[in-house]
Amino acid sequence: MKPLLFSAALAALAAAPACAHFQLIYNPEPNLERPGDVPLRLIFWHPMENGHAMDMGKPLELFYVFKGEKIDIGETLAPITFTGAQNGAAAFEAALPVKRNGDYIVGLVPAPYYEESEDIYIQQITKVFFNKGGIPSGWNEPLGLPTEIVPLNKPTNVIAGSTFSGRLLSQGAPVAGAEIEIEYIAAEPDMETNAVGEATVGPVPGGAIVAITDENGVFTFGIPRAGHWGFAALGAGPATEHEGKELSQDAVIWIKAYDLD
Amino acid sequence: MTLNTRIFLAGAVVALGIAGAAMAHTPLCACYDNGDGTILCEGGFSDGASAAGVRLAVIDGDGNVLVEAKMDENSEFTFARPAGVFSVLFDAGEGHEITIPADEIY
Repeated sequence: MKPLLFSAALAALAAAPACAHFQLIYNPEPNLERPGDVPLRLIFWHPMENGHAMDMGKPLELFYVFKGEKIDIGETLAPITFTGAQNGAAAFEAALPVKRNGDYIVGLVPAPYYEESEDIYIQQITKVFFNKGGIPSGWNEPLGLPTEIVPLNKPTNVIAGSTFSGRLLSQGAPVAGAEIEIEYIAAEPDMETNAVGEATVGPVPGGAIVAITDENGVFTFGIPRAGHWGFAALGAGPATEHEGKELSQDAVIWIKAYDLD
Repeated sequence: MTLNTRIFLAGAVVALGIAGAAMAHTPLCACYDNGDGTILCEGGFSDGASAAGVRLAVIDGDGNVLVEAKMDENSEFTFARPAGVFSVLFDAGEGHEITIPADEIY
């Protein structure tokens, strides 16, 4: 390999860890007071660096769990174009029907995404939480996904300056020693325009923010700032191959932090 | 101490215990118009505790109690929608009362 190409390859490798892919299931407000359809935006993105957005294929499954009952909302999916700071990408909108008080856990199994730069497929199985009326009803229960992060703090009202802990499961069993990548939505998507808003934070030096799960599969991270925080366990799932290529089956969870004013 | 006094004291201790537990959490209640002339109210507490047995009252604009009931084992109660102005009182004891006006029933 020529030195210049080699340098370029090194630079690409060096850049890769900082570019964390995160699957979003987004709505700005997880705490709901009245019944109605909650609009969702499904975006595959680099939210912390307000970076490149990836084209999503049609999700394999979108559902919510309320008091232990799983309800499919795949038929509410409709394609949209998300306009990031750098590019536009295929994304989806959907709707979560909310009536009764309690926790609504939304789960997404996306179509595997082919990441050309790494020659692998990525499938980020993602969970996000909504609550109506302040009554807890199961946010701390696993959904039985191939891999998932189960919250150990209530994920709908983490206080900025406190901590968030989660337990990583693969096929229901805790995963020890797994790397958890952590990201903040630096620029929140606009629900009206499906475009990104103004970035509120800049990049962090030193690449990805990382925590490692302990022997019980548990990690803890101090939440320094109000907003949406995402946690991703890369390659935690049991599936390792898709269409003859390596598959990284990841578990992603989103939480919302508030300032204690 | 007579047996009756003992039973009374035991009862008082149990009552205090229940009241103490209720103080540590916030009462919550929401009502829904079922669209068939009935209204469903569901109650609960912020720590996930059941509201079974909590008093619910439907009160008209003049303060008259139209319906009085206790939340069922699912912390729910359904009643016929009254004509005119009314509100629902979820009464989990002193300091733990919630009033829901009719215009906050969706």
